[in-house]
Amino acid sequence: MEPRIGVFLCNCGGALNNIDFEAAAKEVSKLPGVARVEFSSSLCFEEGKQRMVSCIRGDNLDRVVVAACSPNFQEPGFQEVIERAGLNRYLLSMANIREQCSWAHTGDVTAKAVKLVKMAVNKVRLLQPLQTKEVPVSREVLVVGGGFSGVSVAVQLARVGFSVTLLEEGKVLGAGMSELESFYGFDAGQVINGAEMDERIEILTSCPVLEVTGRVGNFTIRISKDGQEIVRKYGAVVVASGYQTKLTSGSEAKSGRGIVSQEEFCRMLGDSGLARQPKTVGFLFDFSDESSRFSTLATLNNALTAKTKWGSEVYVFYRSVKVDSQGTERLYREARDCGVVFVKCEAPPSITAENGRVKVKARDVFAGEDVVLACDVLVGEELYLPAEGTETLSSLLNIRRDSRGFFQDENVHIYPVASERRGIFFVGECRGDLGRPRVLADISSVVAEVHALLSSGKMRVETEKVKADPQKCVACLTCIRVCPHGAIQLVRADGGKEVAGISDAACFACGVCAGICPAKAIAFQGYRDEEILAQIEAI
Amino acid sequence: MIIAERKPMEEIKRLIAPYKKILVAGCGTCVTVCWAGGEKEVGLLASQLKLARSAEGKDVSIVEATVERQCENEMVAEIKDKVASVDAVISLACGAGVQTMAEMFEDKPILPGVNTTFIGRPQKEGVWVEMCGACGDCFLDRTGGVCPIVRCAKGLLNGPCGGTRRGGKCEIDPDKDCAWVLVYRRLEKQGRLDIMRQYYAPKNYRAVKRPGKVQAAKA
Amino acid sequence: MKAMDKQIIAFCCEHSAYAAADLAGKLRLHYPENVLVIRVPCAGRIDVIHILKALEKGAAAVLVMGCEDGACHHITGNTRAKERVKYCNMLLKEIDLDGRRVEMFNLSPNAPHKFVKAVNEVVNTIRQLGR
Repeated sequence: MEPRIGVFLCNCGGALNNIDFEAAAKEVSKLPGVARVEFSSSLCFEEGKQRMVSCIRGDNLDRVVVAACSPNFQEPGFQEVIERAGLNRYLLSMANIREQCSWAHTGDVTAKAVKLVKMAVNKVRLLQPLQTKEVPVSREVLVVGGGFSGVSVAVQLARVGFSVTLLEEGKVLGAGMSELESFYGFDAGQVINGAEMDERIEILTSCPVLEVTGRVGNFTIRISKDGQEIVRKYGAVVVASGYQTKLTSGSEAKSGRGIVSQEEFCRMLGDSGLARQPKTVGFLFDFSDESSRFSTLATLNNALTAKTKWGSEVYVFYRSVKVDSQGTERLYREARDCGVVFVKCEAPPSITAENGRVKVKARDVFAGEDVVLACDVLVGEELYLPAEGTETLSSLLNIRRDSRGFFQDENVHIYPVASERRGIFFVGECRGDLGRPRVLADISSVVAEVHALLSSGKMRVETEKVKADPQKCVACLTCIRVCPHGAIQLVRADGGKEVAGISDAACFACGVCAGICPAKAIAFQGYRDEEILAQIEAI
Repeated sequence: MIIAERKPMEEIKRLIAPYKKILVAGCGTCVTVCWAGGEKEVGLLASQLKLARSAEGKDVSIVEATVERQCENEMVAEIKDKVASVDAVISLACGAGVQTMAEMFEDKPILPGVNTTFIGRPQKEGVWVEMCGACGDCFLDRTGGVCPIVRCAKGLLNGPCGGTRRGGKCEIDPDKDCAWVLVYRRLEKQGRLDIMRQYYAPKNYRAVKRPGKVQAAKA
Repeated sequence: MKAMDKQIIAFCCEHSAYAAADLAGKLRLHYPENVLVIRVPCAGRIDVIHILKALEKGAAAVLVMGCEDGACHHITGNTRAKERVKYCNMLLKEIDLDGRRVEMFNLSPNAPHKFVKAVNEVVNTIRQLGR
């Protein structure tokens, strides 16, 4: 049956006057399948929209081309209009005769406008209607990781009404929190208590994740608990797997007695029964790796405390001190004012052991000469790394990590707390060295996102917008391996054959799968091969 | 699965040069999965040939067709009209497919467009490696599932040659793992290293008479 | 037909290049009108056959435009597109056609000048190629 295409040309309130609309309309009406051509001076105003609706109904149009402004701007608006007129909203194609024609050229814009409309008409002829449906989603949330971020987000999620399972691989919650307490001034015990007292939060410790399958709204997670396997379903997963710090191996003195980590030093500072308070303390900082906010904060805090509490001689050997995170500059000034000596070096200092003390030799850039210091304790340089088990977790979740092993710190398009898979979120330092204000903001963001996603208990999806035809699919597994959003799995088609199944709920409609399928089995409605080639045919 | 690779373009051009009307015929099974001769590659080759011929000012008549399995008479029969309409066919199927077409359409030159290379599996998308040599006398049980015939550069049957490089790499090709190191590690994991102490006589490479034939016991 | 009269097809990803082209229009940055933009959700949707068909249909050049490296809205789409454009260049070389007719550009949605520059560059190239 021949389509009845309606073409609506808009002059955007007179802004496109360099186009000869009369001539254009004449050309366009000759195109096969075009049943009606309408001109309007402002299609997006209510009056223009109503006229569109009555034209569609009056002339029994079954497909619509709108030649006006950019679809990036108005496509959803016009889709709504044609739906009002009784058509499926996906039977619309737009020709950008404003930003990419009238406004961009000085030559024959009328001819180009006609060409753009021709391309849109060719495409709209082939478009298929799409339905949407509602799928149920579980309102239970899994939080992986029992550190500060994990516990905090679990508490906030419970407060807005979600049932939360807080999963910790280790034996206790908040294992790394004691160090943070002194830096940030909060009560770790209180934070953990908040989670333990909340009935809506189920806490599982010593429970590693074994397998993650399913999709947003319906993740199936297998967990190991007390040697047994339990299976649970969740609507969303929030990853708060955190970070770790590791002493660099850059010291010649192999014996660790004089060289300690920041955490150990913190403990020494807090130990009232310490046998002998070190008289001379050295810190190494920012040589192997660009200093993280965390190690900057740790160094400054500990240096200042060692000075004020013990009255020791404190020296910080550094390459540069970055004070961008909140409160750090003030801390730096305070440390200097109290008498902490900062020695700027270009090359890493050499470290040796001598007479039970640690000898540091460094070239002071400002003094222009070598400084030799014998320390009772040297706080070594630390690398800021993703937590143990991050690699395993990333492959269980099928989520990429960045070049340093953190979860996706580098892609600015992904919103701060979302991952490339719908329904899986990140919070806290597992995304890299963020600093506390950002972490606190992210915790609130995650709660808002999860709430938006799951609170209604259902999710609207476009049915089979991108689909692998089970007849043509050869199960080569390419799309499954290549989908950037982890939305495709092997499923059994009717008849038992294993084929690629694209989840409507998890799909982001990018088309990367359709582009790579060697059997041309994937149909991406609106961007199928024939729809793209039809536009090329019009040139 | 059978892995094949498209022939170099100069060779393809030379093969089809004498013909005016050409059918590019693909296969929907192995060569689709290894990105050598499926519907997509048929389209690409046809497009290339059209562009090339038109640039040379020559007559252009290229037809495309892909059958599900080019080694099955019934499936190949489906494109008999297209075959009849052309002067020659360039088939992107493996050797079995090319020969099936040649038998079905004896009067038409059926030209091979790919080189059938080996039986293999994917390493990751776009990369396939050889796994099996089709020797007809499989002994993977005693090598822990690693075939030294194709994965050892020298095809040795009783252990490494002694030239294994550091990191367990092959003496001949340092990018390859030494197959016998892989065998050792696999048998070690299974606690079956005693197998390596047994000596195996030279292989009978005529276990499969060429051309091979297999008769299934039940019809 | 003169080179200048021939069409240039630009496959533009809606998140980056298409938005940049829109912005170029808003700023009245002019470029030749023989550039026709085809909007796609991601540069990774574009397959080599689309490029070859555009050339078959008579396009003088084909641009594939996607997000900046490391900033693809769909993570790997622009990388896939780049690989395919490279493959396409090789296929063209095989049949003695100039690979410069097909090129990949990466840009951000707020880079209208980059869009115009890329387009002008390609128009210049085909003028030099003379066909």
